[in-house]
Amino acid sequence: MIQRFLSATIYTLSSVLGIFAFLAPFFGIMLQNDNAQASAPWLMSAIVGLCFISLLVEVQGTGINAKHVALLGVLVAINSILRFAEVAFPGPGGFTPIFLLIILSGYVFGAQIGFLMGALTLFVSALITGGVGPWLPYQMISAAWVGLSAPLIKPLAHLLGGANSRGELLAIMLFGAVWGFAYGAIMNLWFWPYATGASTHYWQPGVGPIETLQRYAAFYLLTSFVWDSFNAAGNVVLLACFGAPVLRALRRFRKRLDFTYQPSGSTV
Amino acid sequence: MITIEQLTFHYPETAQPTLHNLTLHIAAGSFTLIMGRSGEGKSTLARCIGGLVPHFSGGTISGHIRVAERDPIALGPSGMSRIVGYVFQEPEAQAVMDRVEDEIAFALEYTGLSRTEMRLRIEEVLDLLDLAALRDRPLDQLSGGERQRVAIASALALRPQILVLDEPTSQLDPQSAEDVLQALIRLNNDLGLTIILVEHRIERVLPFVDHIIYLDGDNTLSGAPAHLLPHLPHVPPLIAVARTLGWSPLPVTIKQALRFARATNVQPNQTIAPQISSPTILELQHVHAAYLKQAVLEDINLTIRAGEFVALLGRNGAGKSSLLKLFTGLLRPVQGRVLIDGRDIASRDTAALCRDIGYLPQDPNALLFAESVMGELDQSLRNQQLTDRSYIPQLLMELGLSQYAQTYPRDLSVGERQRVALAAVLVSQPRVILLDEPTRGLDYGAKQRLAELLRTWHRRGMTVLLVTHDVEFVAGLVDRVILLGHGAIVADGPTATVLGTSPLFAPQIARLFPTSGWLTAEQALQHIAP
Amino acid sequence: MIHPFAWLTWLIAVTIALSATRNPLYLILIGQALAIVNAVSTAQSRQPLTFWKPNTLVVMLVVTSALFNALLVRYGNTVLVRLPAWLPLLGGPITLEALVYGALNGLALAYIFIAFSIVQRMLPISTLIGIIPRAFYPLAIVTAIAITFVPTTLRQAQHIREAQAIRGHQLRRLRDWLPILMPLLIGGLERAFQLAESLASRGFASQPTQSTQQHRSTQLTISVALTGLLSGWMLRLIWAYDTLGSILMFSSAILLFGKLWMLGKHAPHTRYRQFTWNNADTAVVLCASVTIAVLLLPWPAIERATLGYYPYPLVSQPSFDLGIGFAIVGLIWPAVTQYIKS
Repeated sequence: MIQRFLSATIYTLSSVLGIFAFLAPFFGIMLQNDNAQASAPWLMSAIVGLCFISLLVEVQGTGINAKHVALLGVLVAINSILRFAEVAFPGPGGFTPIFLLIILSGYVFGAQIGFLMGALTLFVSALITGGVGPWLPYQMISAAWVGLSAPLIKPLAHLLGGANSRGELLAIMLFGAVWGFAYGAIMNLWFWPYATGASTHYWQPGVGPIETLQRYAAFYLLTSFVWDSFNAAGNVVLLACFGAPVLRALRRFRKRLDFTYQPSGSTV
Repeated sequence: MITIEQLTFHYPETAQPTLHNLTLHIAAGSFTLIMGRSGEGKSTLARCIGGLVPHFSGGTISGHIRVAERDPIALGPSGMSRIVGYVFQEPEAQAVMDRVEDEIAFALEYTGLSRTEMRLRIEEVLDLLDLAALRDRPLDQLSGGERQRVAIASALALRPQILVLDEPTSQLDPQSAEDVLQALIRLNNDLGLTIILVEHRIERVLPFVDHIIYLDGDNTLSGAPAHLLPHLPHVPPLIAVARTLGWSPLPVTIKQALRFARATNVQPNQTIAPQISSPTILELQHVHAAYLKQAVLEDINLTIRAGEFVALLGRNGAGKSSLLKLFTGLLRPVQGRVLIDGRDIASRDTAALCRDIGYLPQDPNALLFAESVMGELDQSLRNQQLTDRSYIPQLLMELGLSQYAQTYPRDLSVGERQRVALAAVLVSQPRVILLDEPTRGLDYGAKQRLAELLRTWHRRGMTVLLVTHDVEFVAGLVDRVILLGHGAIVADGPTATVLGTSPLFAPQIARLFPTSGWLTAEQALQHIAP
Repeated sequence: MIHPFAWLTWLIAVTIALSATRNPLYLILIGQALAIVNAVSTAQSRQPLTFWKPNTLVVMLVVTSALFNALLVRYGNTVLVRLPAWLPLLGGPITLEALVYGALNGLALAYIFIAFSIVQRMLPISTLIGIIPRAFYPLAIVTAIAITFVPTTLRQAQHIREAQAIRGHQLRRLRDWLPILMPLLIGGLERAFQLAESLASRGFASQPTQSTQQHRSTQLTISVALTGLLSGWMLRLIWAYDTLGSILMFSSAILLFGKLWMLGKHAPHTRYRQFTWNNADTAVVLCASVTIAVLLLPWPAIERATLGYYPYPLVSQPSFDLGIGFAIVGLIWPAVTQYIKS
């Protein structure tokens, strides 16, 4: 009981901190104080990093068994190759093929696997494509959140038709679309403070802070929206084409994973 | 050292027990061979010794098992890891790290040993398995045999008393298999390591084996080779001949058998190969081919006529698979022409070519992904845009797959999966079939079924071209053998001529009776008066 | 081979330098230092797997940031062009100052990218995996497995493509990738099972990394740390209690890392590979430390004001201090070391 409470606390706190960190540029304007250091890029990265570490420890729990380690290793390898292909032959806008496996493995195997799938796909693909840098913790935590939240689809899928139905696939596609936009939004939020420096000058002389914020938000939506719609559309299309067979294959494998020996004292 | 009493085990959700009331004893320091038909529980028994069954697989187990005074059922694989080491079938599915030395160190890194102790053990194990020269190499640059030796080395780093190997050579070519088996023999002879080997290809190890266990449901046999070999259903041709002719003590090597063979009266036999006069169907003219920028075939000229049954043999890397791929369009020649039915195929793509040429790849699993066997056939039919399905039931029946039409293909055995792959490739009823290493991973029973199938198709007029290392398989089957060596054709002629006198590729019977022209046990037994 | 720790110190020095200044002269100097280190390292690195050329990256980021900032911020005295006001969001003056500021930020960002990529290329993958804290060793193993399986999977993908080709399959539409993806996935899952057996038989994951009680205490510690972090930050941000907020945040971070370190202690681990430390490494660390010291601490002889270049409200000529200049040049040392060795 206490464990569940503590788990929930950790998830909530890290999400809140993470969201605040991402929205820091906006806070700078809202509060109009000279504390530019409050939203300095490196501080944001550090906070997000600490949240990520906390989540990682929480998700690891009492340990990861050999079957899950092997499963993750193999799935991360496949997903990293997909990302490698995406980096080498870039698709339109924010399209990326990696969320297919992240969402489906989180959905079938649970939050722990989903979280680790997201985080480690980005990590390993960064190692093999030469993309390690200050943006990596952001990518890792965002992708990890996608996988972590995948089991949340279950109630909706159940409502729409249950296991292995078209309704289930629709629910997953919807999830993929929503996260397509959200992921892009998060990554853009990372880019801004680094690109534009301190937040104390986001206004024109004579224009009040609220209006600045509105312009800011509108501007942001416009630039982000088009880019991220490719991500969302990509997820939907990939899930439509490949979602059902991949889901079946993963479910078959899950049965084998679940078999463990319970010593029972049964005789012949 | 290992005592098993009344062991019974079923896999989860299976009614039929895989092991039933098994009682065995394996002595310390012995080299034990576990044999049996597929599905009889060889792998299961091997895994029971280290606790992988039932801890990893689930299921219900009863009975007693004691390994070096410990109970694997209670301890599980982690508890048994210092006593029992494992090596599995696929060389590529056992490594965690990407370099040889790191992989061996991996097993030791979490055991709490000091760094000096780790270094000592690693050096030791590298020397034992002859891997010192390869220590810094990335694993994916090594051959299958080298990778298996690395797997053995990593298992041995923990200094177990028992080494269990589950078909370690089934995915390897003969040279690599030889290296691995020699390493095991050395480990057993020089270190006294208890070795338990599940294996089909027993010719090489038979002289060194102390104990054979033959699993067959309730008729499990266990004992010394000399006692068991006369009763086993599938034995190498040498032994088949020896026990029928009553040679005693039963010889297990060519050297031992030659004593008896020389004493038998043998008439030199000249078989005349039938002349084939049908039109040429496959042809290579002055073909040079390369794979990954390395020259693989040089100036090959080859003619195969319709209805021929040809085998292509050669050492690893001689270019056999590449030659086969030339006919499918998967590999295009750097120079020269590839002709099918007299027409150059340079302008045709693989999909078009494969209507007339069926090709079974080395790993049939690469083909299979549908939900059922029928689904696989449907996929092929769709690909080739064929609508006539009338012959599908007959095809399934011929391949023995009628009862599996709705089964998930990956749940079937290795032999059955291969036949599903064949079905998928034969939907267009091609006139030629090319098979790349079809006997890899098959047990004797499955090999015989395959041979029957190929004979049936050949009699019907299909042209069959087969690439393989398995000389015994080829011996009683094909009419013509081509030997490839280092990218060039070294020999080409009737089977008896090419194989009869080749020092490397002669089957066991040919070595026993050199002038006779016999290649199989059946032929030998037919001609020697009983 | 430069020791990973030396590289790390160098990287920290570069990051601090790039955060501390927006003076274009200093930035360009840092850029040159990076270019030299990059050139010498490319000759020696093991994994030439970057898809972007450094120069393209710099240009792209400078231009993007400049435009971004110019469209967002309409502050500044030098107006270059005045877009018609009726254009949504775009209407208004485009000022030189905003362009310059954006460009400078883009430049700094690009150089951070390049610095990280240099270090990553020079360190072998096993070292990069080794950076993963001991507390997360199962994850380090997953990473190692994934990296080891990448070449196998690529080869397998090639076999599958050939196998599907010979049953008439052609890749035309997106859907046609299914017969390639599925055998790859299923084959991978089957291999995972055998790999898991291989791991278990070598004693991996024999004990859980923590018992349930230990895990509960870990969870408690983390919750406390996160609460501290959040409250500290709120204090700074909303109520401007700078010192209190900073102390709270800092101690929370220490608490978290401390717990992590303790968790790591539980997993007995003997690292097999070792890097030797030699004079070259000491030299690199010294140079990096000098750079950091010069840039962060108030030395009397150094004009620290030159670090903060500010184009608003009117763009002006940047000034230069020789002392700082020398400190930045010190960042070239890794290139010098490698050049001497070769």
